[in-house]
Amino acid sequence: MADKIIKEANDRAARFFSRRHFLQDCVTGLGATALGSLVSGCNLFSGSGAAPVQSLNPLEPRAPHFPARAKSVIYLHMAGAPSQLEMFDYKPELQKLHNQLCPQSILEGKKFAFIRGVPRMLGPQAVFSQHGESRAWVSDFMPHFAERVDDVSFLKAVQTDQFNHGPAQLFMHTGSARLGRPSTGSWVTWGLGSENSNLPGFVVLTSGGKTPDAGKSVWGSGFLPSVYQGVQCRSKGEPVLYLSDPEGLNRDLRYQGIQAINEVNRLEYETFQDPEILSRISQYELAYKMQISVPGVMDINSEPAYIHELYGTEPGKESFANNCLLARKLVEKGVRFVQLFDWGWDAHGTDESTAVDLGMRNKCREIDKPISALLLDLKQRGLLDETLVVWGGEFGRTPMQENRDGKEMPYMGRDHHVEAFTMWMAGAGIKRGGSWGETDEIGFSAVKGQVAVHDIHATILQQLGFDHEKMTYQFQGRPFRLTDVHGHVIKEILG
Amino acid sequence: MKMTIRSNHWISASLVLVPFAAIWLGGCGSGKKVDYSTEVKPILNKHCISCHGGVKQNGGFSVLFREEALGVTKSGKPAIIPGDPGASEFIRRLHTNDPKERMPLKAQPLSKAEIDILTRWVEQGAEWGEHWAYVPPASPAANANIDQFINEKLDDENLDPAPQADPQTLLRRLSLDITGVPPTEARANAFAARFSDSAYAAMVDSLLASPQFGEKWASMWLDLARYADTKGYEKDSRREFWRYRDWVIKAFNMDMPFDRFTTEQLAGDLLPAPTDDQLIATAFHRNTMSNDEGGTQDEEFRTAAIIDRVNTTMEVWQGTTIACVQCHSHPYDPFRFEDYYKFMAFLNNTRDEDTWGEYPKLRFYDSLQRQDVTAVTQWVKQHGDASQLQEAQDFLRTLEPKVHAHDADQYINGQLADTKFMAIRNGGSSRMKNVPLNNADRLLMRYWSGEGGTLEVRADSLKGPVISSMALPKGNGVLPVALKPLEGRRDLFFIFRNPSLDPMSTVASVEWMAFRHDLPGKGQAGYKEMEAKFLALVNANPESIPVMVENNRDLFRPTAVFERGNWLVKGNEVKPETPASLNPWPQGAPRNRLGLAQWLTDPKNPLTGRVMVNRLWEQLFGIGLVETLEDFGTQGFTPSHPALLDYLAYQFVHKHKWSVKSMLREIVLSDAYRRDSKSNPELNEKDPANRLLARGPRFRLSSEQVRDQALAVSGLLSDRMSGPPVMPMQPDGVWMSVYSGERWNTSQNGDQYRRGVYTFLKRTSPYPSSITFDGSSREVCLQRRIRTNTPLQALVTLNDPVYLEAARTLAMQMEKGGGKDPEICIQRGYKLAMNKDISAAKSAVLVKLYSQALQQYQKDPAAAEAFNMRSVPDGEKAHVAALTVVANALMNLDEFLSKS
Repeated sequence: MADKIIKEANDRAARFFSRRHFLQDCVTGLGATALGSLVSGCNLFSGSGAAPVQSLNPLEPRAPHFPARAKSVIYLHMAGAPSQLEMFDYKPELQKLHNQLCPQSILEGKKFAFIRGVPRMLGPQAVFSQHGESRAWVSDFMPHFAERVDDVSFLKAVQTDQFNHGPAQLFMHTGSARLGRPSTGSWVTWGLGSENSNLPGFVVLTSGGKTPDAGKSVWGSGFLPSVYQGVQCRSKGEPVLYLSDPEGLNRDLRYQGIQAINEVNRLEYETFQDPEILSRISQYELAYKMQISVPGVMDINSEPAYIHELYGTEPGKESFANNCLLARKLVEKGVRFVQLFDWGWDAHGTDESTAVDLGMRNKCREIDKPISALLLDLKQRGLLDETLVVWGGEFGRTPMQENRDGKEMPYMGRDHHVEAFTMWMAGAGIKRGGSWGETDEIGFSAVKGQVAVHDIHATILQQLGFDHEKMTYQFQGRPFRLTDVHGHVIKEILG
Repeated sequence: MKMTIRSNHWISASLVLVPFAAIWLGGCGSGKKVDYSTEVKPILNKHCISCHGGVKQNGGFSVLFREEALGVTKSGKPAIIPGDPGASEFIRRLHTNDPKERMPLKAQPLSKAEIDILTRWVEQGAEWGEHWAYVPPASPAANANIDQFINEKLDDENLDPAPQADPQTLLRRLSLDITGVPPTEARANAFAARFSDSAYAAMVDSLLASPQFGEKWASMWLDLARYADTKGYEKDSRREFWRYRDWVIKAFNMDMPFDRFTTEQLAGDLLPAPTDDQLIATAFHRNTMSNDEGGTQDEEFRTAAIIDRVNTTMEVWQGTTIACVQCHSHPYDPFRFEDYYKFMAFLNNTRDEDTWGEYPKLRFYDSLQRQDVTAVTQWVKQHGDASQLQEAQDFLRTLEPKVHAHDADQYINGQLADTKFMAIRNGGSSRMKNVPLNNADRLLMRYWSGEGGTLEVRADSLKGPVISSMALPKGNGVLPVALKPLEGRRDLFFIFRNPSLDPMSTVASVEWMAFRHDLPGKGQAGYKEMEAKFLALVNANPESIPVMVENNRDLFRPTAVFERGNWLVKGNEVKPETPASLNPWPQGAPRNRLGLAQWLTDPKNPLTGRVMVNRLWEQLFGIGLVETLEDFGTQGFTPSHPALLDYLAYQFVHKHKWSVKSMLREIVLSDAYRRDSKSNPELNEKDPANRLLARGPRFRLSSEQVRDQALAVSGLLSDRMSGPPVMPMQPDGVWMSVYSGERWNTSQNGDQYRRGVYTFLKRTSPYPSSITFDGSSREVCLQRRIRTNTPLQALVTLNDPVYLEAARTLAMQMEKGGGKDPEICIQRGYKLAMNKDISAAKSAVLVKLYSQALQQYQKDPAAAEAFNMRSVPDGEKAHVAALTVVANALMNLDEFLSKS
């Protein structure tokens, strides 16, 4: 309790007094020297020139509870929920039962999103084989990834309690199926700050043509200050909304404009002595820095040909491949949390694009090479040791064929499934070639090594150096945690 | 503090207590009465309550309620013995050196002073005081006023209050605060010409009377009401709620007293003969989100909405966060687990059930339809009794009461399609369970059928008596079905047939059913015509808004405790009741939402007045007297000026009779409000957050104000009020909702320049520049916008086309005022933006920027052209472009973005 109160007091103090400290820094000539470069002739800022504006920056790097294995996180979310049965959870028994009616014993007391009455079993629509030293089963939907299995640890028995996309995605990213909680990335940037003051600490990249079902709340900051919310960068068009100067206003003139704004603000400060004005000056400075640095990081044109070959990237396109490459570039630059969402995995079998044997195979093609490239690229740069990569969806899919509205579907599809699905993690202290958790013979129930959504959160925080039970934020009169009152670190996949 | 006591410890404990007692008896001879609320409770909250409170009661000991604290612990003995600290284990454990026993466990021991307070408290009888916020504010001294409270505190701190701000600055402050937009030039000139106290007061009145007042203050309320233009959750499709927003604006403008404002929103439908406006007001609690995603259970999300309503009601009116009580007693405040569900029982009996159609809805018939409504009601009046008349009127107004397809079960060859519709194939059937029939002789059924077929209704079982049998026309709409009258409640089976259809095809889908009676006067001349009119009205699809309609006795929904907060595990049934720790139930008030509103607005309620005046104060001063607007409980912050808060609350309720305008008037007439906002190093050191108000308020404008002001000073702002939400310019690709063809289509004809309060708000994708400036996404009640400061804000006001257009338009005005002379143009621009004259130093900076820009544009005319100067005559393009660069800078100045 005492810790929580102290933490809360510190947070409050930070909110309140950072500006005051900044003011003192200015007075003693230590702070805000970066502004000296911009606001020329500003006697207030005529410091010696070394120290950056620190106390003003809520994204200033901070130490976690204990030494961390991970410096950054890249979280790859397949929105719509991919079928584990066509990718990683090999079920030969299910193949044998293909097209047979599902036994009543399995259906008893179960609730499905779309399956009604008695559905038929649906055998795996992919061919599985074992790979790597770990002999992990991977299907022919993911041939490139199959070569990287020794870098990852599978979680084969992840469970959730939400079987609709919106709530399940919220649950997966905020620890609650209801709106209003901060996302994992927000918690992490709140806890650790960012290594790069010219870039947002938490960047979100989407592909697949749509944003996730739950909307932007999955990267929202909830009750945390909004500075910790994910900044959606776009691989097509302006990377950050309103980042580029308007047509007909060149960069020099923008620079001169910001100089003038900050000079007038400085004059205003002389009269009003309100430290908020100094924050404003810093805010415009940072905005300008972002204008300069973000386009460079977000531009993949300058990457060498072999990198494009590796990832399968095409500059200018909105694609998962481009986003994987951007994720690598961003963590390289010190961005703390990079969240990728790829839309289009909801393989119900209502049409060709959502058939597990057709549309889903195409979706796998879109991610297979880029993900493998990302792991390899991080590794070759020595970044995999300090970057935690997480892959998964919001739930899994049923071993039964969907029979929406009690009818036979035109294509082979699977319904939402909460009782067992596969995720994997890699890098930053995660066991190489590991696997934890098992499902029954048909992949319906988890029989061993069950992992809850909050366990995923606890493990991510653990690798970043946080005890998930101690990372709390006081709101509405009580301390909140990403893991609520749950969560266990999945020790079985830690190296 | 772990309080399980083993017997051998107890013996040794008794032994050490003897010398110990001597110490404390000698040590605290002062005997000064300890104040529970300010002295004891903070210590308990800080050191004890997390292990011995609402969540955990380690050792069987809790310090949340007195009877718990004095009760027997697991050791078999009470830990606190009032009047006898020496015998109280509670006190002994604070002193002991044994780390296994000493409390707080595994933490720093309490300080001597803290132990002294607790010891004296037990000695004085361990009385439970009330938290300040739960005691109604006392009537203040006759001559009390705002400045007296503020100045007393300044005296204590040896701080001198700042002088009054200059008239121009003061007018801008006042205008932004009261109307949300800066003063018009005419107003400003008149004000500056003859400034006096009485002119100031007259200006206050004139601004309060302006229709823009409601537009400004609605924003505050709409955050609380979580008003939005979409449903939320996955599909987040559009809903028509804007009449509620207009109701709020209108209510503020007409200065509807806050007690009535409260009652109409919580229970307008329960008022006698409610007007349309009073029903629209009840959309307050229909603003909860609703979930259309396939496969979602309506009851789950109806429950979520009710929980939201409980939380929101307590948050908005009582500044109390009660969400945690859903699962256990409040960890710090005196709200018990059952209190939550008793409170829920007030709100749990409305007809809305998270249906796709968002029923019940108040229907707005057009003028022709209204004639038919009159004709039908006249007919019923003539041929029926008063209750038939009431029923007909209510039904035409809201199509209630009705029941929904999601109640159906026992599907045979059919199913609840998309978890929304009763869909039946040839020969299939479904049951509606336990339907209150009460001799209903007519069923109105909203359905859809591609090819038509037949409908058969049987009572009690699939083989039970046929009570209706008819041909089902193809098409869709509300179909009248004649029923054989049956008494009481029965199970009904609906069987649909069309053998010509493919066996997999659905014969019909049903959305809802209403069990009713035929219109009276059957067989009389004109009946058929009336009947046709009635059905045409029921089948009409007029504009509408979701509202509250209370369940009738037949549809009454009991409320039960959710075990551990899980809605699927129902515990004991509860009756509607308000928390015992607050004011008593008003005598004679009905036990429903109307009574609840009376309870909230009872002058004996300790919180409603305080919470509201604190909100008003926060809007004006940037920080509440209680900084935590959302928490007046013991975990919230204590008021900076407790006596002032109580004074204001008392004034608001008793003197101003809940008038928001009068309350605001009193505040803005105070010296404290009118002070100059200049700070200095001493103040920055002593009072960085300006809690003491030695200086006037100075803080960044709200998201609405930032936008409205830019449009206002450039002259673009439209003064059109009310109506459906509008869509200002927004970059492509921001809206990418799943499963929705909805598009952002920029409004035209000035609607794109309307005030921010009218901007379309999509919950999963709010207007980007609004959210960047801390606007709310309105998913749940937001009590306080925390002002943040991010570089993304600067990017908005620098580069968002809305702000560029405003800059360009302002530049035109500057040019009009100053012609070719940049200095005069800049003076003019600054005056328009800031309502005062520019200083020489600032002017010099902007003139320099102008020259830099002019040089650029003269060198590169194509750039000026690209900078959207197409409509400007050739010779002036570079000049106006350069002025636009300056205008853009003006609109990014801290002083422009701040209220000073």
